[in-house]
Amino acid sequence: MKMRQNARGARAAAALVAVIGTLVAAGCSSGSSGTTSAGSTANAGAASTSQCGTKPGVKATGTPIPLGAIATNQPGTSFTDIPNMAAAYFDCVNANGGINGHPIKLYIETEQTNPAQIAADAKQLVQTDHVVGIVGNTSILECTINHSYWENLGFFVVDSGIAPECYSTPNSAAVNMGPRYSSDGAVQYALSQHVSKIVFDQSNVPGTGYIAAGPAALAAAAHVPIVQLTENVPIADAKSVAIKEVNDAGPNGAVILNFTPPEALVILQAAQKLGLEDKVKLWGCSTPCNTDFLAKALGPKWNNKLFVNAELTPPDSTNTPAMRLYKAILAKYGKAVSGGVGSFSQMGFAEAEIMVHALRSVKGAYTVASVNAALKAVSDFDTGMLCQGWTYGDFPMHIPNNVDYTVTPKDGKMVVAKGCTPISSVDPQIAAYRKASGTG
Amino acid sequence: MPSWQEFEPFIVSGLALGGVYALSGVGTVVLYQATGVVYLAFGAVGALGALIAWSLTNAGAPDWLAWLVCVLVSGAVTLAYGMVFGPPLARRDPLVKAVATLGLTLVLFGLMDLLWTTSGGQSRAITLPTDNGGFTVGQLQVTWTQVIGLGAGIAIVVVTTVFLRYTKLGTAMRAMANDREITATLGVPVRRVEAAAWLGCGVIAGVAGLLLADLVALDATTLTFLVISSLAAALIARLRSIVGTFVAAMAIGLIHDLLTPIQSLSSYRDMTPFVLAAVALLVFSRHRVISLSREEA
Repeated sequence: MKMRQNARGARAAAALVAVIGTLVAAGCSSGSSGTTSAGSTANAGAASTSQCGTKPGVKATGTPIPLGAIATNQPGTSFTDIPNMAAAYFDCVNANGGINGHPIKLYIETEQTNPAQIAADAKQLVQTDHVVGIVGNTSILECTINHSYWENLGFFVVDSGIAPECYSTPNSAAVNMGPRYSSDGAVQYALSQHVSKIVFDQSNVPGTGYIAAGPAALAAAAHVPIVQLTENVPIADAKSVAIKEVNDAGPNGAVILNFTPPEALVILQAAQKLGLEDKVKLWGCSTPCNTDFLAKALGPKWNNKLFVNAELTPPDSTNTPAMRLYKAILAKYGKAVSGGVGSFSQMGFAEAEIMVHALRSVKGAYTVASVNAALKAVSDFDTGMLCQGWTYGDFPMHIPNNVDYTVTPKDGKMVVAKGCTPISSVDPQIAAYRKASGTG
Repeated sequence: MPSWQEFEPFIVSGLALGGVYALSGVGTVVLYQATGVVYLAFGAVGALGALIAWSLTNAGAPDWLAWLVCVLVSGAVTLAYGMVFGPPLARRDPLVKAVATLGLTLVLFGLMDLLWTTSGGQSRAITLPTDNGGFTVGQLQVTWTQVIGLGAGIAIVVVTTVFLRYTKLGTAMRAMANDREITATLGVPVRRVEAAAWLGCGVIAGVAGLLLADLVALDATTLTFLVISSLAAALIARLRSIVGTFVAAMAIGLIHDLLTPIQSLSSYRDMTPFVLAAVALLVFSRHRVISLSREEA
């Protein structure tokens, strides 16, 4: 009887392995992206939120201007901080005169990496909510699924990009650089330190080939050999991953990671526990590693050993009017922004700034045509969050953020290791954008 | 083919990984032996305990208190599940019982994602004091935590084997796993015995969760789904042998990591637990067919 039960149990367990394997695969595919964050407590400083509007203290009571956003929100991957921060900015604007007396209403739809749902979200925003502009989109698949829809309807989306289509299509312009160009930045920094070899490791999710092409081009141009690796996530064997990376890179090489913060932390901690952090010349990471959580968890052994690409102005060490306003708005209106101060909320702030700047230039009614024409006309706009002015323009592709920082951990925080540096035009996509936008 | 020297570090890391799988796998088999339930929430319960320990430590609680709470929470959650859902599911098919624990897994996973969100780039880590000491093998540092992880796996194997075989409670647990009703008619207090089994499994999950949070990652997804690879080790041992599970887990860890430096196979190394489990199941089923044929003849 016992044997029968054991056999039944074994069969049942075998069947379950298949079921759970599918669940994990789904989890893996969704847990890939994520841009960045440098989390810490919001500090409003001396800034006043009245600066965000043209009529301080006067609440906007006119007809609302409806805008829409779509963000991924699922276990392990949530980008809702970005549209939530945009909504906080709009609340601030609405409390201080609005746009010529009109308040802005942001409709936020969330999705769970389901293409049908993402397409339906877009239709909901357009057909039911009658939005006149799209701002704050941050989704693993949204650009891929909806870019043709937005193009057909004449929407010019302002977003935080992840998928290639966020950068390679005419109606999407992001405030961030996304995984490919951020990885370019990390590799570029390593090459500037004269490493003899690059090991570029990233999570094994759709789009790795697109991302890997950038670092490969940079390494080839510098005549430095590059080894491309991918890892299944979540990583259970971080120690063997770290050993392989270090062995492949050699003592004068660099290991560059493109993972979410928890996965990158797992690899870096494994390397530290094995005493491998000093076995290569340097470690690098794309933007997701730019978080004080990671700096704090890693400890001082990684000071000036790990160099992270940063797409946005470091909030801790910057005291500009824009940064003060961002922190003040976050403190007063950003209750829904769970990550606090950090790149996610910075992106939402920058996108909202761009939208408000465009709306203020609209003459007459706020329609899809007028609002999106105003967005397309945004040129060299200083968001206070980026190294360079932000431009939409009438281009076949958009990579308006292509100049970045490099940061390194120090005493539990990320500090600037190298200031604004243009991403190399050796990456053919960057070269194509600079040529198209006339900035090359 | 890489040289022997290139393989050396992966033997060390493979043993460490095997120890990780053994910790989870042995816990799964222990509960199965005692209750007949394949407890798929083993990883999630351990992860919950570890995340609570992390929160307590961050709030300034002493480490020992955080570790104790981790083990107690894991034990309490498992015990509560066993007491509430164990009796109504007692007569159901093993598959139903296992799927019910999958439900608990997903509930806990959702809860952890809600309370310890990773949005905004949050990443967490537990560092045990034993990480600071160790020794060197083949240019690789081996921490005492790794040694404890491996030792804990062996200790659980020994203690559980002795407990199930030589104690009254252990014998009662094994009897219940065979047939709950007959055991009850023999006067065994089944509720109490089941409670002890669930609590024991929960405590093991808590200890494993704490060690794995340090050895692997303090991440709900990683720890929750680590049970899948461990389950392969348990399957190879046919959910029957605790020693067999330990050996299978070590073999899986070693083979997995030894494939890492082989360029052509490296990308497929994560298939190791499942390929080995599939081969083992095929071999066992073939053996069973031959045995039955002989019996029929």
